Amino acid sequence: MKIPRLTTLVSVAVLVVLALFPVIGISLSWLNYLFLFFIYLALANMWNLLAGYTGLICLCPHAFVGLAGYTLAIGTWVGVPFQVGLIAGGAVAALFALLISYPVFRMRGIYFAIGTLVLPEALKAWFNFWRPVGNEYQGMGAGYSVTGVAGVNLGDTYWLGLAIAAASIFVVHIILRARLGLGLTAIRDNENTAASSGINIFRLKLYSFVIAAFIMGIAGAAYYIYSPRINPVGGFNISWLLLPLMATVIGGEGIEEGPIIGAAIVTFLRFLLADYGAWSLLIQGIILVVVVAVMPQGIAGLLRQIGAYRFPLKLFQAAEGKIHKNSK
Amino acid sequence: MLETAVLSVDRVTKHFGGIVAVKDMTFEVQAGEVVGLMGPNGAGKTTLLNLIAGVYRPDSGRILFQGKDITRYAPHKICHLGIARTYQIPQPFTSLSARQNILVAATYGGKKAAGMEHDKIFDLVNLSEQKDMLARDLATVSLKRLELARALASNPTLVLLDEVAAGSTDAEIPRILDMTKQVRKMGKTIILVEHVMKVMMEAVDRIVVMDKGEKIAEGTPGEVMKDEKVLAAYFG
Amino acid sequence: MEDFLIGLAPPIIRGILLGGLYVVIALGLSLVFGVMKLINVAHGDLVILGSYFAWATMGWLGIDPFLSLVVGVPLFFAFGFFVQKFIINRTFRISLDAALIACFGISIIVQGVCQAIWTPFNRSLTTAYQLQTFAVGPLIIPLRYLLDFIGGLAVMIALREFLRRTYLGKAISAASQNEQVAERMGINPNRVYSFAFAIAMACAAVAGVLQGLTFYFSPVSGPPFLIISFGVIIIGGLGSMAGTFIGGMIFGLTQTLGAYLSGGSMMVQMISAYLLVFVVLSVRPQGIFGR
Repeated sequence: MKIPRLTTLVSVAVLVVLALFPVIGISLSWLNYLFLFFIYLALANMWNLLAGYTGLICLCPHAFVGLAGYTLAIGTWVGVPFQVGLIAGGAVAALFALLISYPVFRMRGIYFAIGTLVLPEALKAWFNFWRPVGNEYQGMGAGYSVTGVAGVNLGDTYWLGLAIAAASIFVVHIILRARLGLGLTAIRDNENTAASSGINIFRLKLYSFVIAAFIMGIAGAAYYIYSPRINPVGGFNISWLLLPLMATVIGGEGIEEGPIIGAAIVTFLRFLLADYGAWSLLIQGIILVVVVAVMPQGIAGLLRQIGAYRFPLKLFQAAEGKIHKNSK
Repeated sequence: MLETAVLSVDRVTKHFGGIVAVKDMTFEVQAGEVVGLMGPNGAGKTTLLNLIAGVYRPDSGRILFQGKDITRYAPHKICHLGIARTYQIPQPFTSLSARQNILVAATYGGKKAAGMEHDKIFDLVNLSEQKDMLARDLATVSLKRLELARALASNPTLVLLDEVAAGSTDAEIPRILDMTKQVRKMGKTIILVEHVMKVMMEAVDRIVVMDKGEKIAEGTPGEVMKDEKVLAAYFG
Repeated sequence: MEDFLIGLAPPIIRGILLGGLYVVIALGLSLVFGVMKLINVAHGDLVILGSYFAWATMGWLGIDPFLSLVVGVPLFFAFGFFVQKFIINRTFRISLDAALIACFGISIIVQGVCQAIWTPFNRSLTTAYQLQTFAVGPLIIPLRYLLDFIGGLAVMIALREFLRRTYLGKAISAASQNEQVAERMGINPNRVYSFAFAIAMACAAVAGVLQGLTFYFSPVSGPPFLIISFGVIIIGGLGSMAGTFIGGMIFGLTQTLGAYLSGGSMMVQMISAYLLVFVVLSVRPQGIFGR
């Protein structure tokens, strides 16, 4: 499937329209939904990069999110403005990924999965007791509020979220069309053959891992600018793993547009189930099990299988043909 | 040990748990040679290939490639130096097309890889019609040829072929012999593991025979087939 | 120095006894791993579900949690059988990754159920004897730790005899070691999987009672137990019951010694266990006793 350059125009148009939302009077609750959608989309894109394209089922997104959130929060207590804290959060998450990559990539398959699961659990335990700055936070362990964000309104955080989501899509897009994307797909399909074809498995996995950690970190930190209170249970909550995982599985693992569809559904579900408290977790789990058992290729996978893209694609190509003809 | 040897395997031994897979294996391959590796099932042939390719590390002994000690090198590094291998049971990149499969080896196979023309490779292995088909949709016969194509794509000096002829019909044998000849004409050195006798006898200059992990004979096809130890290993 | 060494005795004894709990949890995980090469990442949560079940029956019927196992074990057994048959089996045929995700989904479901029914607050199985201790010479031993040890021993021996003496047990053993040969001998692998999973769930029910007596628990207490029991089977090596037992001891010791040497710090307890798992995973995944 050749992607016509019309998609670039369409993507930019969509981006501009979305960017105008806060200015043209879209309701605050919609801005809320969309902000969360953007954050979940960024997380899902990165989880898809790891699981769908590199073959790494990583169970530690909540480590990256929590670390970045805490970096941001603690940063604001020691005079680091939240704008810097945002990037610093991503950097800390990326550095963490770099540090653990050596032991973690020695593990294959299920060992890797459990090995990555250990990290957020250990961090959760650590942050329950480690309190580097400030006084006790309402006696609930090492929680922090993010200071200095009072002046930030929803419109600003919305744009931040939009930028992060767009960046995540862009990053995945260029990786897939670059050397790295070919290498990652080779690793995912057959690691041994990839190695014997000259691919440095460790190095490529590392690139993928660190990039994913960085963007997940930034997305997480952005969330904590929007909701400026963090504690160990929230920062390292399993939801930060469940959401991108669900979005990827429902949308379609290893498919570029999968996370977009999946994140939309997951955000919608979140709001639908918001009033049901703990039952919402139960229902999400049920949906996950059903989807992976009945529709493992995800929605995007299903759409591709039934050729749903053929008609719009023909329209696209016809339109592009006309544009090029007229510009001559 | 001659300096001109492309590959020098020097007293290599490999255990797996209590089993000795390869024992004290020593032989050399000169540039441009086609050397056959023969032996009954379980003789250690594929293990030896894996040792050369860096998948396993020898417990003792050395492996030298063009004079360089590659005993402890990782598989990707060995590929960059110029050794490529095929797998007995094809191991393609299933979600990629045939063309993309060899593109992987061409992209990552090291500096020399740029020198190979992909269309020529596809012609050589007779896969030109199926260039754009996904690997997962190809028949086993085509996949075997894709293995060879991928191995050639990194422009190696030494090619390790693991049973390229397995499962082929008699009609396909001449094609396989022809492919081997053409690879040889490209100036490459070949180590060939094969059970199909016709290919073994006609494609190679020299045969090394293994049994139970050890070398039991070495020589021209004619010599080796008359060797008592070889006959004993196969026919008891 | 002498005082220090003498002071070590109680935590060492406690650690060894506590290990029994981890053995029971690990045996269930190991059974499924051995047969299907699948780590049920919901295993820890299912143990906690067992604890909640015991808690609920205690509150409802006022009976001892061990007594609740009379209903609990068959219930969990049946539950496990059907989960494997209708969910795990299906996803297993798709891919190992899909089965892993399905298990994760089950983990979320169980956490959700526990949280919805029993709230996120800490619970414990408070029985008359739970906080009892008894003295062995100068040492004071909490009764519940002794129960853990006995439980570990009992389940291990029961499982070992089952695997050795019953047809089903031998079938499971055979399938763990070499599935193709087992299949050719007429053993239906799917059947074996279902029973293995069911037995693992039964173990989880027992482990739930023991766990509930030993520690406080909440709906999110599952993953730590998953991690530790995974560590136990990795250190102990797959397929070795003695290894699993020793692995359990090692983790029990890590916790009690960690607590003792750090002056009771919960953080050190948990993190030392996690660190051990992480290091073993990266350095020697085949374990100390593994083949």
